[in-house]
Amino acid sequence: MRIGVYVCHCGTNIAATVDVAAVRDYAKTLPDVVHARDYQYMCSDPGQEMVREDIIEYHLDRVVIAACSPRMHEGTFRKVMEKGGINAYFFEEANIREQCSWVHSDREVATGKAKELVAAAVSRVHLQEALQEKEASVIPAALVIGGGIAGMTAAKDLAESGFRVTLVERKPALGGHVAKWTTTFPHMMEAQEFLTPLREKVTAHPLIDVMTHADLVDLQGFVGNYEARVRINPVFVDGDACTRCGKCVEACPVNLPDEETWFLTQRKAVVLPPPPLYPDTAVIDAEHCRHFTEDACHACADACPEQAIRFDNAVAEKTVTAGAVIVATGYELFDPVRKPELNYDKIPTVITGPQLERLLDKNGPTNGELVLDGRRPEKITFIHCVGSRDETVGNLYCSRVCCMFTAKQARVVRERYPDTRIRVCYMDMRTFCRGCEEFYNDVQHMGIYYTRGMVSEVFLRNGHPVVRFEDTFLGEVMEEETDWVVLAVGMEPPEGSDEIQNLLKLSRSADGFFLEAHPKLRPVDTDTDGIFLAGCCQGPRDIADTVSSAHAAASRAAIPLFAGKVAIDPIVAEVDTEVCAGCALCEEVCVYGALKLDERLKKMTVNEAVCKGCGACSATCPSSAIKLKNFKNNQLLAQIDALCVKGGGA
Amino acid sequence: MKEVLVIGAGIAGIQASLDMADAGFTVHLVEKEATVGGHMAQTDKVFPTLDCSSCILTPKMVSVGQHPNIRLYTLSEVGKIEGEAGNFTIEVIRHPRYVDESKCTGCGACAEACVMKGRIKNAFDMGIGKRGAVYIPFPQAVPLKYTIDPETCLTLSRGKCKKGPPCKLACAAEAINFEDTEKTVTLRVGAIVIATGYDPFDPKLKPEYGYGKYPEVLTALEVERLCSASGPTLGEIIVNGKKPTKVFFIHCVGSRDHTVDNLYCSRVCCMFTAKQAHLVKDKVPDAKVTVTYIDIRAFGKGYEEFYNRVQSEGIIYRRGVISEVFKKGDKLFVRGEDTLLGETYEEVADMVVLAAGLVQRKEGLEIIRKLGVQTGEDRFFTGPSPLDPVETGLPGIFLAGCCVGPKDIPDTVVQASGAASRAMSVLAAATSGGNG
Repeated sequence: MRIGVYVCHCGTNIAATVDVAAVRDYAKTLPDVVHARDYQYMCSDPGQEMVREDIIEYHLDRVVIAACSPRMHEGTFRKVMEKGGINAYFFEEANIREQCSWVHSDREVATGKAKELVAAAVSRVHLQEALQEKEASVIPAALVIGGGIAGMTAAKDLAESGFRVTLVERKPALGGHVAKWTTTFPHMMEAQEFLTPLREKVTAHPLIDVMTHADLVDLQGFVGNYEARVRINPVFVDGDACTRCGKCVEACPVNLPDEETWFLTQRKAVVLPPPPLYPDTAVIDAEHCRHFTEDACHACADACPEQAIRFDNAVAEKTVTAGAVIVATGYELFDPVRKPELNYDKIPTVITGPQLERLLDKNGPTNGELVLDGRRPEKITFIHCVGSRDETVGNLYCSRVCCMFTAKQARVVRERYPDTRIRVCYMDMRTFCRGCEEFYNDVQHMGIYYTRGMVSEVFLRNGHPVVRFEDTFLGEVMEEETDWVVLAVGMEPPEGSDEIQNLLKLSRSADGFFLEAHPKLRPVDTDTDGIFLAGCCQGPRDIADTVSSAHAAASRAAIPLFAGKVAIDPIVAEVDTEVCAGCALCEEVCVYGALKLDERLKKMTVNEAVCKGCGACSATCPSSAIKLKNFKNNQLLAQIDALCVKGGGA
Repeated sequence: MKEVLVIGAGIAGIQASLDMADAGFTVHLVEKEATVGGHMAQTDKVFPTLDCSSCILTPKMVSVGQHPNIRLYTLSEVGKIEGEAGNFTIEVIRHPRYVDESKCTGCGACAEACVMKGRIKNAFDMGIGKRGAVYIPFPQAVPLKYTIDPETCLTLSRGKCKKGPPCKLACAAEAINFEDTEKTVTLRVGAIVIATGYDPFDPKLKPEYGYGKYPEVLTALEVERLCSASGPTLGEIIVNGKKPTKVFFIHCVGSRDHTVDNLYCSRVCCMFTAKQAHLVKDKVPDAKVTVTYIDIRAFGKGYEEFYNRVQSEGIIYRRGVISEVFKKGDKLFVRGEDTLLGETYEEVADMVVLAAGLVQRKEGLEIIRKLGVQTGEDRFFTGPSPLDPVETGLPGIFLAGCCVGPKDIPDTVVQASGAASRAMSVLAAATSGGNG
């Protein structure tokens, strides 16, 4: 055996703490090491080329590279092995950066540890086996979960590239949160002007199958070959017969707060969601309809001139196949009840920014009039960062849009009601989006008071809300009586994120949003191949950034669909059928569903395309019958022995 | 038509190219510099993870150089664009490298031999490091091929260098070619992605900060090169010949500033300053580091958390940017107002870092403007809908990265993939329409 060892400086990331020349010289003393070198950046073009040339010149048949985490560059270096003409898996990466130089400061100790890690890797690489990558074909179709602007944009892109798309939306209508906004910032374009053409393109596209009022209930398979089960929740109305005449709504005896107006008004248990709807029909909300909850009420059915009500509608389930999946499940607004000092639930004129948006909408509950309980405000105080940048509610992050939607609302109010006195209390003005700083400048010149300092309390005095805030420029705490208080509530991960996380095996970042595979290298990818993130489910963002990320998710999803095939990682579990007793303990621990018991033979079988090589099965098997390729006991023990017994010679 | 043109090989152009090439399209990637990588290659570490920029970028650069579906044209410009979506004809002007790319092994013997060695400011190192007339911008350049700068090469500028050009004598591969000329390549592509990036704001336009006058006043990109392990000081913070002890950072230099006609926010300066403040404090623990700001815009994933961390490391944030940098005797002073304390101050400084913002490129965009791509009041490119920033409104032509306005690396990579998606739809339609 002829082993080559390479020690990376990683600029000074490694070389400042580890004596790389000493590690290199030490490596030369290890068994079967015929060649050792150090280099500034092993991952660079010349670094890679050096290894390739050495493999040929020194007839190397195994290579160890001591550098960063294999998560970073294992794939890079495996390709170099192939180019040098040896099997990609005759390679071991010793992590002397994350596990050594970055966590130690004592040069001598770090150098000793780097030597041990290299010795362990050399010991293990002796026993590595040659593995071959396999290929799987790809279903040229995509599944998009979420019908807001992110999901619709991604679906439209993929359909325009020629792929069949299934778009699944939980609500009865497409459009998401943007449907409830009036104007967008900073160009004051009507949200509908943007939303309507997009929605029309999606619903009219022959390759897009829209499923509204539907939930994803299961997802199996792997990149290129996913199979999903989608539950279509009944609307209890015959879509062909319904004329949207509204008689059912009039007849319904139920009243409850309406989500469409952010609970400013009431709705019935049967509703006519705003058009365009897909399918275009009245919808019965079974959760609140008395036919289902109490007394088999049938007032709507009696009132319907078309006999379109169908209480016996059943849940339908559809199976959808797809090569890639895009998650675009959006966000939820922060509930300000969690900031009790703001008394949102106690004072009716303390409202949220999105509620104000409904009041400013010409098609909203007040036809665009700024009125609550018959009264128009003379003074409005806006409060920034409600639920954002706030340790007390567990949200350290900035929600990115609240500074601007507040500035926009302040401007709209001032333009329509020039006498209104407006104060905005802020921490930092984050008007960073394109054209937004300019917008903020204009707004400041409209006689709107921007006060730097946060609000500590809102309380009632003489029937008016009083805002207590600090003006950090004056260094003073002030109290000011106002008429309305508008809370710029931030974004949070939506309800149902846990289910989607479990079904799709996603990770979450500390802020609770879905975690991307790498913040810079792969910002819309996930750790599960073939599953991508679009829009606010990955973190708060405005419309332009959401649309960008939706296009991006479509691009990443399109790669396997266009390519028509995907490579399958050969580091998977394998069963020694001589030893396997068919106890199926491993099947229980496999979160990927890659293991099945062959009932006839009473032996386990591995679906190599689904197996992620996590090793949980091999750790569970009582008789060591199931093993992970290249992570077998002898290979790992060789590595551990070198660390423990020889002490690396350091 | 399965071919596509990408203009600009910074991180945006790289990402767009890799997406389309991986999907099976042939990508023609045109870059005016001698290497791919753009501004990201100049940065040391990236916020908020503090990953080294090279570790993230280098593999993507290498992939671009080696991808079977990518044709890379460095030292090149687009000369002419004609036609329409699905069928553009492009002229690419390839400037002479004076080194035969097919022969050069990147060994560096020519650079060692060059009589101008160490005498010319290396633009990649923001002029802090020196190079010769034959050079590579940095060791990880892709392609790793040397370039002769015709303006400083004695053979090319004066017709004579010693008795015979030492570089030519030193090159064992016989790759040096002083007879190299400009060549034109004609391409046919179905779609175009524009990813021409940005220029850093020139702080000489804010003379009150004394940039160019006092050696202690640096730009953020210069500090990146000082922090970089492979930079001209090998990662040591050396300013005016010594380690600094009193460091001031100034936010919003050239941004949010009507006096230089840049009203916009540059989106990245708050965070790269937080990162640099951390790096300087890490490398010079005794230094007193002060950041002066208007608003802290830490809005990306993990950014607010990073800003909190930097504050907890003993870095002082004072609200109100420094208004003036001046010399009194042999000492450098900064003058500012702390708007929270409501008082002005004058303090001694031995390192002042200007968080210079991002501006639209000054040169090389005529061909794109001639196509009809619009620009906004901020001079960056724009399309008909501000809500869909990758669109130009012209069929088959898309935008990515900082040429559409300042943005950080994650947002740039996202937008680059986004432009790739739109371009691939056009290519797919053109292919199924029988033009392929």
